[in-house]
Amino acid sequence: MRKTINIASFFALATSIVLGAYGCKDSGASGSTAGTTGTTGSNSTAGGETAGSGGTTGSGRKDPAKDGSDIGEPIKIGLVASQNGDLKPWGDDCVKGANMAVDEINAAGGINGKKVLLLTEDSNSDPVAGKNAASKLVTDGCVGILGEVASGITQQMANVAFDAGLPIVAVGATRTDISDIGSNFFRVCYTDDFQGPVMAKFAYDYLSLRNVAIMTDNKQPYSVGLSDSFRKAFEGYGGKIVDEQKYQSKETQFSSYISNMKSKSPDGVFLSGYFTEVGPIVSQMRAAGLNMPVLGGDGWDSAQLQTSGGQAIVGGFFCNHYNNEEKRPEVQKFLADWKAKYSGVPGTTMGALGYDAAKLLCDAIKRAMDKGGKKSKDISAALEDTSDFAGVSGKVTLKGMKGNPAKRALVVKVTANGTTFEKAYEPEELAK
Amino acid sequence: MKFWGVRGVSILAGLGFAFGLETMVSAGLPNIYRLVVLAGLFITLAVSLNLINGITGQFSIGHAAFYMVGAYSAGFVSNQFYAQQSLGPQLWLVVMMVFGAFMAGISGFVVGLPSLRLRGDYLAIVTLGFGEILRIVVQNIAPLGGAYGMNVKPFGSPPKAIWIVWTLAMVCIAVCRNLLRTAHGLPFLAVREDEVASSAMGVNVPKTKVTSFVIGSAFAGAAGALFALYDTFISPDTFKMDVSFIILTMVVLGGTGSITGSVLAAVALFAIPEWLRTLQDPVTKVAIQIPGPSLVATMLAVIVAVALVKLIQDRFYGDKGKKLGLYVGAVGAGVAVQFLLAALLKGVPQLAKLSFEAAALRMVIFSATLIILMLLRPQGILAHHEFSWAWVSKLFGRRPSEANA
Amino acid sequence: MLHDTLNLVAGLDFSILPQQLVNGLLLGSVYALIALGYTMVYGVLRLINFAHGEVFMLGSYAALFTSWSLGFSPEALAGQDKPSSWINLVLMLVVSMVVCGLIGMAIEFLAYRPMRNQPRIASLITAIGVSLFIQYAGGLFLPQSPPPAISEQVNPYRNEKVTVTLAPPPQDLVVQAKDARAKADQMDKAYEAAKAKGDPTSLESMRQETQAAKNAASNLETQVASKSTGLTVPYGQLGMLLTTLVLMALLWFIVQKTKTGRAMRAVAHDFDSAALMGVNVGRIITITFVIGSALAGAGAMMYATVLRTPLTPFLGVTPGVKAFVAAVLGGIGNIPGAVLGGILMGIVETLVVWLDGVVPGLSGYKDAVAFVVLIAVLLFRPGGLLGSSKVEKV
Repeated sequence: MRKTINIASFFALATSIVLGAYGCKDSGASGSTAGTTGTTGSNSTAGGETAGSGGTTGSGRKDPAKDGSDIGEPIKIGLVASQNGDLKPWGDDCVKGANMAVDEINAAGGINGKKVLLLTEDSNSDPVAGKNAASKLVTDGCVGILGEVASGITQQMANVAFDAGLPIVAVGATRTDISDIGSNFFRVCYTDDFQGPVMAKFAYDYLSLRNVAIMTDNKQPYSVGLSDSFRKAFEGYGGKIVDEQKYQSKETQFSSYISNMKSKSPDGVFLSGYFTEVGPIVSQMRAAGLNMPVLGGDGWDSAQLQTSGGQAIVGGFFCNHYNNEEKRPEVQKFLADWKAKYSGVPGTTMGALGYDAAKLLCDAIKRAMDKGGKKSKDISAALEDTSDFAGVSGKVTLKGMKGNPAKRALVVKVTANGTTFEKAYEPEELAK
Repeated sequence: MKFWGVRGVSILAGLGFAFGLETMVSAGLPNIYRLVVLAGLFITLAVSLNLINGITGQFSIGHAAFYMVGAYSAGFVSNQFYAQQSLGPQLWLVVMMVFGAFMAGISGFVVGLPSLRLRGDYLAIVTLGFGEILRIVVQNIAPLGGAYGMNVKPFGSPPKAIWIVWTLAMVCIAVCRNLLRTAHGLPFLAVREDEVASSAMGVNVPKTKVTSFVIGSAFAGAAGALFALYDTFISPDTFKMDVSFIILTMVVLGGTGSITGSVLAAVALFAIPEWLRTLQDPVTKVAIQIPGPSLVATMLAVIVAVALVKLIQDRFYGDKGKKLGLYVGAVGAGVAVQFLLAALLKGVPQLAKLSFEAAALRMVIFSATLIILMLLRPQGILAHHEFSWAWVSKLFGRRPSEANA
Repeated sequence: MLHDTLNLVAGLDFSILPQQLVNGLLLGSVYALIALGYTMVYGVLRLINFAHGEVFMLGSYAALFTSWSLGFSPEALAGQDKPSSWINLVLMLVVSMVVCGLIGMAIEFLAYRPMRNQPRIASLITAIGVSLFIQYAGGLFLPQSPPPAISEQVNPYRNEKVTVTLAPPPQDLVVQAKDARAKADQMDKAYEAAKAKGDPTSLESMRQETQAAKNAASNLETQVASKSTGLTVPYGQLGMLLTTLVLMALLWFIVQKTKTGRAMRAVAHDFDSAALMGVNVGRIITITFVIGSALAGAGAMMYATVLRTPLTPFLGVTPGVKAFVAAVLGGIGNIPGAVLGGILMGIVETLVVWLDGVVPGLSGYKDAVAFVVLIAVLLFRPGGLLGSSKVEKV
């Protein structure tokens, strides 16, 4: 019994120091009751255009069974971002961008007089946590969800949003087949079906590479999908993929993969993974004496490339969504606003994409409300109807695109402390 | 007849509790539905590991592997066959639970075999190794979703799961309790106490060991199956070594061998991080900021103080008053360390302005609590004691014989 | 059956085998340095020190901070070249060893010493707690996003390497490659000149030709490299192997030839008798922790500097587990066994990736193979490769 008292006193000591001294107050009333998660009794099809289960609207995709949440006051929209974990640089920029967009809208009087409330949840760069974060936002009564930057996480969030009937606007998820989940899925970035061929064309035409080796991050659906589309396009142009090495996120030693690759003597290497691993890989590649050009997708986009890749990564090429040096008025305004609010320039393109996604969702909410829409499904319909939305990262048209906008892609070159613009590819250019 | 009467009543009470919980949570507290489900699963996992670790004394630290086997086998079969049959979601849950238990039981049999040859730490390492091997194999099988994971969505939307999860937990507790109380359980305890002696007394040691592995892993597999079907997405990362360690921690912290302890520790260890996660404003999502450096300094200071007190307790056998003085000194040293560290950390300019969300601190608080608790009570919260009505009546000052034990 | 095997063997690229073995050896030497800490602590205390991987992690951060204070932080460098000398490397090594030694001592005093008379499983849980605490508390303080890496410029020998040729490449290929490189350099010069002059009409086609010439040259060079059987070992890696050897020799000397070493062996042999014979057990245990942690610190510094690993607070988990397996593989408590186990682990891991060339998808199993080897060894030699399998006393 004395021991028990001992424990109790120490617990009390610890807790009192922790809680008392630092004024951490318990969250009082938890959980808001505004907005419930759809109604089970509602009709199973949206729009009433088609009947029966698995019905589809004009988009040719499956419709969610539920109508989603009511558009209330304030209008709640949710954002899932990787505020912790490997993708933190993206998540942070994305949160900043989305907050900037919402603040702008609220400063201009909100949507039809109603304020917008942005609820942010952390996905910890992990699909499971992302899924739970999305469910949390659904229970919190959000009418639509923004995010994520990574395809693997977005895939889980989209499933949750589909079950709840909420529209989801992905920020940087480029894997093509995510949009097959349902008619509630949209994105503000291009897909890997575009990005892969862009890099293949760049490698074949611009860099005149013929024998390319691929390194794929087997754990990331994004990387697997991008590698596949690159391979297809590059072989289509007449090039040869001499080798493919598969690693997994969070590995740090790549020397054995590199030795394997070296024996196939490629003249270029395509790295479809995220910046977290690309830096070390290239750095270890150079140390092993491989000096060929390296290229990759938008997963490279982070200042971290230079910290972990050092001198080795300088001169590499990757595909990106926009560039801070562009002269378009949207970009200039965005950069000026960013500087005023956060100082500096966004370190990654996810700032601009997060901003675009939030703006697009709010724009769709406004259009839905103008038409008398009251539910999430009306927002989905409005999103489906988007054409020529002028975003920072380019024009977004979603009408008849199954959620995948056709956008321009830029190829940029890595320099010692940033990137420079190298070449732009328009969607029409690749179509031929 | 009385035997069956009591049984019947307890079974009915158990089922009633499970369904009551289901109705209550789904009606009143939809936000914590998931937490209640997971709490039930962790109770099952902790109690089933306790059967292997605490009751039979086989040091297994790869329990997440069985959890994973159950989850993946149920997930795969549900994805393949659910559409082709006409059982309802609830019945399918039960079928899958049994199936998951069966598959995990088989793997438990395989993992249990080395226990015939290895003991102690070596057995622990082999179980850990088996867990990792299974996980990596799953990671490399494309039909199971590979390294990314597998969607398990046979029902469209997640099923009602609380009642079945908690029924499973109660069955698991009942099986373990009855094993301890009846003659069937004595071999298990004998093997834990002394293998050679029990074998000399006629206990079939290999059979006992393997049986405990099979039963323990079967329950973990059943829990895994329910997890897969309820959570709709499973990934190899969900079943990493850390999960095994957390389950092991639950068992040890609760008191090795004590079922009640496992249950309490499972709920506590599961609840602490989840509670800490909610330490932020629910509507605006503006996190309540705690100055991280000071908090960590405090945590370290408490650990220092506790360690010193512990060392004094071990070393000092003399005068009570002096001992008390030493205690005070130790706590004082802890407080001093706290201020020193906090000042030191504040002194570093990069750290001074750092502050963190409570959610980011949860694992720090969790691990510090774990260390402090283990230092203070190495035998676990309940040691080997069990909850019993006799104990409750003693608590209220009555003699045990009066209670209806 | 035989035919299939032969086909498999034929598909293997033996020209890279020596290089892969060296890769494995490098990785293995890091594992061995960590494994020594596990095995020494287990030897004296019968405790699996799960926090050892975290000590390793802190060691790599100590090296990072040392390199920063020596003027190799990203801000100080700002993309410029800065000369370095070997003294910097030695300094980093020493600092990281000292820091790790102190941390090991603190952990022992605060977390394990109070638990000494308690059941071993309780100490084990405390060890897990300490490991989690360091990981997550470290996550609050240590720079981790983006994961920092020690600047390669701190290594003065980064551009020098030893090349050993076992079977030379065809001579004509070498000549071709040389010619191609010369031609590419020439074209590059011409292109740069044209670009400076600003002649836009032919610039694009010229750029393309230059690029093609460069590609051809680098392709030929890679072919030369891959047609020859040989090794390329940068000086840094060579230095790493040497340092590891020196440290191990030092450890051997301490354990076998000094009085402290004898006391350590006595405690490992029989804790209670050693205490009765007048060995100060507490002091010996502290020394063991300090030495084991310092070795991990040395491994961490080299892992971060030479093997170019970006740092995160979770850096220690994977090498920690592998080193632990290595220690068991060699026979836990056995010092030469830990070295053997560590190197074996490194080599097995690399060879699995090498075999991926004939069995596609095998590289995904590289972490599992280590455990398969472990289980196989334990089932046939329950005491590990070099350990003695004692029957537990009744």
